[in-house]
This record gives sequence, structure tokens and C-alpha cells, in this order.
Amino acid sequence: MSHKDSLFYEVYEVFSKKTDTSSLQHQFSLLAPNQELAFVMAKENFFRREQVADIWVVKRDHIKRMSQEEKEAMKHLEKNYRETKGYGYLKKKWRQYEQEQLTEKDIMGGGEG
Amino acid sequence: MDESIEYRECLIELIYQLADDDFLLAYRGSEWLGLAPHIEEDVAFASISQDLMGHAALYYGLLEELGEGKIDHLTHNRSPEYFRNAILVELPNGTGTYLENPSYDWAFTVVRNYFYTLAKKVRLDSIKKSSYEPLQHIVQKISIEMSYHMMHWEVWFKQLISSTAEAKSRMEEAMSIVFEELGGVFSYGRIGDRMARLSLIESEEVLKERWMVYLNKEKIQYSMKMKQGDGRNGIHTPHLAEALATLSEVYQSVPTAEW
Repeated sequence: MSHKDSLFYEVYEVFSKKTDTSSLQHQFSLLAPNQELAFVMAKENFFRREQVADIWVVKRDHIKRMSQEEKEAMKHLEKNYRETKGYGYLKKKWRQYEQEQLTEKDIMGGGEG
Repeated sequence: MDESIEYRECLIELIYQLADDDFLLAYRGSEWLGLAPHIEEDVAFASISQDLMGHAALYYGLLEELGEGKIDHLTHNRSPEYFRNAILVELPNGTGTYLENPSYDWAFTVVRNYFYTLAKKVRLDSIKKSSYEPLQHIVQKISIEMSYHMMHWEVWFKQLISSTAEAKSRMEEAMSIVFEELGGVFSYGRIGDRMARLSLIESEEVLKERWMVYLNKEKIQYSMKMKQGDGRNGIHTPHLAEALATLSEVYQSVPTAEW
């Protein structure tokens, strides 16, 4: 692609929803000179066969992405002390208690009646 | 003439017109494969052409049910004078051929497809009120895909016509060529009056009028003509015979082959 072309066409990111209630997913990117063309191209390039409930096209330049520096800045120390993994044993313990209360009598019935 | 025989004749004639129009325009569209202005459009246009071929197949299927013969025969083994498509859809995309120096005209393609799709919409909307139910069903199905085709060609049309001075003049030139044959798209041929009388479709004049109302939003003033032939009555340009020869080349090489 020549330099002139690369100014004319811009990258658009395409997002879509499968149904009205499903979450928006990033699908692909494509080249188009403007939003209207990006939209019609998105429809026929990526949704020829499957049903789609909604299509969004966004010019890539309009998306704030992270720079390498920002990516570095987002790194942090281990934070497991903030996670609730420590309580993971609770489920197992509950199961154990529940199991103990079920005697053979409870399962088979009979005896008292 | 017996009324039911007359009805049948008009119905079959109308379906041939709808089928052959989509069939030929699908073929002209397929000739753009790999040549469209950019890769995304290449994929989109090819897909639309496949849709059109699918629409033609639905109509030919109905003709087969009505006893007109096998689909393959109808598409690959019928002489040009039996084709009922309008001249507009058989005209080549530009100079050269797909294999040799294709110098195709994108402005002409956009205008032809936009104006044709608009005419198709007007025709199909009218047939939805038609007296023949199996045709109504097919037309309803086709209309769903057609609405995307409309959107696609409308975007191209509006953007090119309001673009640079060069684009505008190329589009205007293309429009004058398309208008010269657009009358043929609305024509129903010899028995057109009877088609309207039997409520298969409304009259040519009503449909033309509706089409102009749509387009007048664009403030375009031209008049529709039918210059190079009369496709609905089987009078075609040599371009049709060439297109059909290419289309049926493989089929004709071994006509008895099972596909």
C-alpha cells in the first residue's frame, strides 16, 4: 500500500454481539476510508453466515490503548493477601458436616414411623 | 384464451424476468472477483454476487416446479433469445475481459447495482401483494438479504457522488449510461399489461413512479430509456451470448455429466 493510500484508509476495530443480551466481543479489524464504509464492510466480511444482533465499528485511533510505559506502570507486587483464597477450605468443611449428619437411617428410612 | 392458461403464462414470464435479471447481474458481479477497489470490498461484493445467484436459484427452482425443465437446463442450456433479463444487467463491467486487460468501471458498477437494487426492491414490494403465494414466499425471503445489498450500494453511491470533482463527473457519466437502459428493467415485455391485470404485480408506470420518488431524494433528474434492445422480449446485445458462453462452458463440455 502506498503512502497516500495509508492516509486514506484507516484501521477500524469491529465488535459484535451474538444476541441482544450477550456481551460485546472484539472480532476483527479492517481498513476503510470512513465509518459508514467500515460498517458495511464489517457486515459482509465477517457476518456472512452467522446471525448477529449488533455490530460496532470504532476507529482504532479513537481507542485509548496502553503504551509500553503504561504497561510497565501497571505491574505490581504479589497481592495474594488481598485475595480470598484463604477461605477455600470452607466449602469442603461444609460438605463434611452435611455428610456426617446423614446416617443410614436417614437414607433408607424406616425405624421410626 | 382460457383464464388459467393465461395466468400461468404470465406468471412464468414474470418469474423468468426476475430470475434472469439476478442471474446475469450475479455473473457480472463475479467478474469483479480480485479486481474490486480494495480487499474488504472484494469480499463484500463477491458475497453479494453469491446472494444474487442464490436468489436466481430460488426463482429457477420455482420454474422447475412449474414444469419449465431442470434448473441446470434453464441456466446453462437456453439460447440467449429465451432469456428475459433487462439489457442493463447483461452489459459488461467495462472494457477487456476477466482474463485479458480487465479495465472495469467502478462508478458504472456502483450506479448499476444501486439503481437495479432499488428497482428490485420496488418490484419485490409489489409482488408481496401478488396473487401467487409460492412466489410471495420466495420474494419475502429474498427481501431480507436485499435490504443489506441496498445499504451497501447506497453507501457507495452517496459517498462517491459527494466526493471529489472527478468522482462526481464519473458518477454522472455512469448514471447517464444506466438511465439509457433502466426503462428495460421496469418493462414486463409483450404481456405486461396482462400481468398487472391478473394482479401478479402492479403496472410499470406505478413502479417507475415509486422508484423516482426514492431517487428524487438525491435530486437527480434523468429519464429512463430502453436503448440497445428489448430484453424482456428476447432482443439482446451480443454481450449476453458471450456471458452465457462463459457461464456454461464447463456444462457444455460434457452435457450428460451428473453434477
